[in-house]
Amino acid sequence: MKTLTRISMLGLAAAIAVGAAGYASAQTSPALSAAIASGNVGEQADGYMGVKGSVSADVRAQVEQLNIRRRAAYTDQAASHGVALREWAATIGCQTLKNRVRPGQAYLLPDGVWRTKGADPIALPAACGG
Amino acid sequence: MIWRRLALGGAILSALGGCIQVKAPEKPIEINLNVNVRQEVVVRLQRDADQFINQNPELFPQ
Repeated sequence: MKTLTRISMLGLAAAIAVGAAGYASAQTSPALSAAIASGNVGEQADGYMGVKGSVSADVRAQVEQLNIRRRAAYTDQAASHGVALREWAATIGCQTLKNRVRPGQAYLLPDGVWRTKGADPIALPAACGG
Repeated sequence: MIWRRLALGGAILSALGGCIQVKAPEKPIEINLNVNVRQEVVVRLQRDADQFINQNPELFPQ
């Protein structure tokens, strides 16, 4: 009985730890927010985030983590929509460039050139369609 | 009487056969709807992508 209690306590502790880690990774750190606001990190037309300027190793790691989580979610979505992962990701890219990138923030088009959004809407790649 | 009619009918048929020819095209007739279908798929994907972004804001920090 005692052993059983100990095992269940361990299980509970593990569950809390996993939950806390999940919660922590779900939050955007102030450092990442600042890097996005300053145009050192931005959205890419391929549906992922990228580093444009110089950022700390910590921010770089957060961008990579974010992209890993995006890819996992994209994989599910692509399968349920019956399209390739890359196609779903690029569709997300179209929508982030269209709706989420704010003036002053950086974005990357398929030509590989980082630009800064001005007052006008971003000229979307042809692949984004109408 | 009946023979005359048959002969007349035959003559008309053979005359028609000489001037009207219906020929099946060599290639199957193709109507290309791919463009419309493709456009619909893109629009649907974009709508779903927007929904996905709104439902997962933690993946899309601004």
